[in-house]
Amino acid sequence: MKKELIQLQHISKSYDGHMILDDLNLTIHENEFVTLLGPSGCGKTTTLRIIGGFERPDSGRVIFDGEDITELAPNRRQVNTVFQKYALFTHMDIAENIAFGLKIKNKSQAYIKDKIKYALKLVNLEGYEHRMPDTLSGGQQQRIAIARAIVNEPKVLLLDEPLGALDLKLRQEMQYELIRMKNELGITFIYVTHDQEEALTMSDHIVVMNKGYIQQEGTPEDIYNEPENAFVADFIGDSNIITATMVRDELVNILGTNFACVDKGFGENKPVDVVIRPEDVKLVERGKGTLPGVVSHIIFKGVHYEMEVQAGGFEWLVHSTRMNEVGSEVDIRVDPFNIQVMNRPASEDEEAIGVAE
Amino acid sequence: MQKKKSNNVFEKIYMGIIFVFMYAPILTLIVLSFNSSKSRAKWGGFTFNWYIRLFSDSEVLNALANTLIIALIATIVATIIGTVTTVALVGLNRKTRAVIMGVTNIPMINADIVTGISLMLLFRVLHFNTGFFTVLIAHITFNIPYVMLSVMPRMKTISPSVYEAALDLGARPMYAFRKTVLPDLAPAVVSGALMAFTMSIDDFIITYFTKGSGFDTLSTKIYNEVKRGIQPEIYALSAIIFIVVLGLLFASNRMKNVKIKPREMDERKAKGRKVRLIAATAVAMAAIVFLGMLFGGVFSKKSNQVYVYNAGEYIDPEVIEMFEEEYGIEVIYDEFESNEIMYAKVAADNAAYDVLCPSDYMIAKLIQNDMLYEIDLDEFPNAQEYTGPQYFESAQAFDPGNKYAVPYFWGTVGILYNKTMVDEPVTSWDVLWDEKYSGEILMQDSIRDAFMVALARNGFSINSTDPKEIEIATQDLIDQSPLVQAYVVDQVRDKMIGNEAILGVIYSGEAIFTKRENPNLEYVIPDEGSNVWIDAWVITKDARNKENAKLWIDFMCRPDIALMNFEYITYSTPNIAAQEMIEDEDIRTSEVAFPPAETLKRCDTYVYLGEEGDRLYSDAWKKVKSAN
Repeated sequence: MKKELIQLQHISKSYDGHMILDDLNLTIHENEFVTLLGPSGCGKTTTLRIIGGFERPDSGRVIFDGEDITELAPNRRQVNTVFQKYALFTHMDIAENIAFGLKIKNKSQAYIKDKIKYALKLVNLEGYEHRMPDTLSGGQQQRIAIARAIVNEPKVLLLDEPLGALDLKLRQEMQYELIRMKNELGITFIYVTHDQEEALTMSDHIVVMNKGYIQQEGTPEDIYNEPENAFVADFIGDSNIITATMVRDELVNILGTNFACVDKGFGENKPVDVVIRPEDVKLVERGKGTLPGVVSHIIFKGVHYEMEVQAGGFEWLVHSTRMNEVGSEVDIRVDPFNIQVMNRPASEDEEAIGVAE
Repeated sequence: MQKKKSNNVFEKIYMGIIFVFMYAPILTLIVLSFNSSKSRAKWGGFTFNWYIRLFSDSEVLNALANTLIIALIATIVATIIGTVTTVALVGLNRKTRAVIMGVTNIPMINADIVTGISLMLLFRVLHFNTGFFTVLIAHITFNIPYVMLSVMPRMKTISPSVYEAALDLGARPMYAFRKTVLPDLAPAVVSGALMAFTMSIDDFIITYFTKGSGFDTLSTKIYNEVKRGIQPEIYALSAIIFIVVLGLLFASNRMKNVKIKPREMDERKAKGRKVRLIAATAVAMAAIVFLGMLFGGVFSKKSNQVYVYNAGEYIDPEVIEMFEEEYGIEVIYDEFESNEIMYAKVAADNAAYDVLCPSDYMIAKLIQNDMLYEIDLDEFPNAQEYTGPQYFESAQAFDPGNKYAVPYFWGTVGILYNKTMVDEPVTSWDVLWDEKYSGEILMQDSIRDAFMVALARNGFSINSTDPKEIEIATQDLIDQSPLVQAYVVDQVRDKMIGNEAILGVIYSGEAIFTKRENPNLEYVIPDEGSNVWIDAWVITKDARNKENAKLWIDFMCRPDIALMNFEYITYSTPNIAAQEMIEDEDIRTSEVAFPPAETLKRCDTYVYLGEEGDRLYSDAWKKVKSAN
């Protein structure tokens, strides 16, 4: 197990009586790429700002490398932040921007020069020392923001939706760049985003958040394949989330039809939610599957066809490389290990608290 | 296409008209500032004279220095307070911010007169001595919202993450602010400061109410001159102010634009331009401070003083300097626009001034209300020796026993006419009712003077308080009004010089001046009689510097001083010795300046009518005015 670097203990925070974080506990390990993922307002940015020192929690402690830094001012923490809107100093050139932190620390001229060169090389912008920030593209500005942060050799780099303002192509490029940089630097990245694809691509560890609570933590594979509740399932990728009844261990009744599954321990005849990924729904000839249905809609998506199938009174989302024409009568079949059964929360609040309880 | 073209022509004409409306007045002013004739109606040739005279007029320069020093200090203080407040406000939540912005904007939205009066009351309550510091505080107060208004929008565009990024990189809060927020804010701060500076230079009303006595800025100084007509030096000064303000405005606009298109500018150029702008501003500020220090002596208050309150343009400024030099007494000299305004000020604070120069009827009112100090003429040797005894005798009409007043100037009211445009000799007020001259008659826009004409014409006393006589006079004035071109004050002389009217009611002192400019003009005191007025020096009852006030009054009666004042003012001097010393024989023997005794016998001074009389006249005057 890797060394524990940051611990958030019982963190609560509210603004104007509006609860943002409620008793949040989170441990971040050394040299990990951790992503805080969730919709806007879920508390992910506030969590990041508490680590950066820009917000004080109402209660709870922030432990950094064994030390309590809850009250420490941001300028004295060993973390650096890359802001969403770059936050470059527009009246300074690129070299001055990058040297800002180093000059405060009274580093020698030669050292600063070396560092600037190194950082610009790392972000693939060699020779940009004397350009002004305004003359760079969005992607370039973001790289400079990263360069400015990493020259200070932080133990942790905080990134607050750094790719949010970039276009799709550039965003994908930067995702690989960030992974490369993280590996080269060998430090911890804490990354905030609402983009699940970004999270799945880059992270070692994903923390899914909603309404101030952690919904699920785990590797991208864990989160994608075994969402622990309907929120996570819905948020991570497209899914069919269907209310169902657990008949007994390894048998679930979905829309009046019994399906074999691999889940156990929910009890008998218990209401549950099931998640079935669209690529796991197989369309077969009528009579060869479990549930009969009719294709009602089809779109060509490039890699696959996206189809909607009316079956058992539910509109199923299906991804398949083979197409079935609209109106064709088919059967739905799902392999038992592709059915993810989850506890159904009784209320919305319970849903938000989720498995954090 | 055709239609579009005609539209274009229309647009151009429209724009042209708008520009003419906006700039014609200022152009007129600039042109007149180079006009060698004092008249507004006549071009006398090109001259720089008024500019030269402006810069040798120490009073105007003092006022200018006051204006600039006040504006500079108020701007600096308001800019600092306004900027800090704005930065702090952005950190608050929206609701609180809106409330605070609303409150701080009050001095700007509020009518100036309300701000001015409330500040004056506050200073009174706090027992502040009105003067330099109260004006300064007032200016800081009304300047802060202008700075905030300029800085706030810029502050809102500055992302807090820039500041946070600096903290994140290890900067302490002040350093982070200085290095990141301030440079981004600078153009807005400078533009706010320039705006505040302009507003401060511009302000009249608030300054007027908070300045107290003995202190003037340009705006209040200029206002004081309105009574006797604005002098061309003021045109010159206004032209200079206009050019300077225009320059500041351009600078302010450039400041705002500096950061808008940085991409188009080479970075070095951008930097260079910024540095140059800042340097230019700094040099301008330094120049102003230097100028201020040059005239800074104004603020040092010596104990040996005399506070003089005189009508506008009613003394040769050199005389004041001579008095100061000769007696080592500092003269705090203020001017009033009308007797009524003077009365209000003295009634509010009797000790504000030591010596006043009101007109006859107002002296009567001051005496009646026990606001004057009783003098002994033996203490005024010059007055006894050189002032004609007949004038002291006339003064008895409003100052029985000559216990309070020493005559300063006097004059008559009569008809000024253009002798080439009238057929018969003008001898009677009746000519002002002659339909032949319809639209060519100018009347004085003042209650007493207008009624004097109508009353004298009917053979009534010019101080009549008989309601029946007033009614007849009122009807006469209403009947006359269709024939009158305008009711004016100081425009009579300009219009007459410019041949814009044939007949006008005018003061004798003005008449001498107009004859010099247009030899076709003649002045006559009609046979029915007229008003002879006397302005005289008096000392206030609670005066703090009574001895100095006496010295001042007697100094005014010294023949050489009286002569200087006569030549400057051109009203009739009661100083016999001075009259004999007049070099220009035409004037020395002028019947306009010194009418023969038999003419004067037909004339009366105005008498204070009492409150009831005042009301009778002003009600009747309203009827006349509404009949127009």
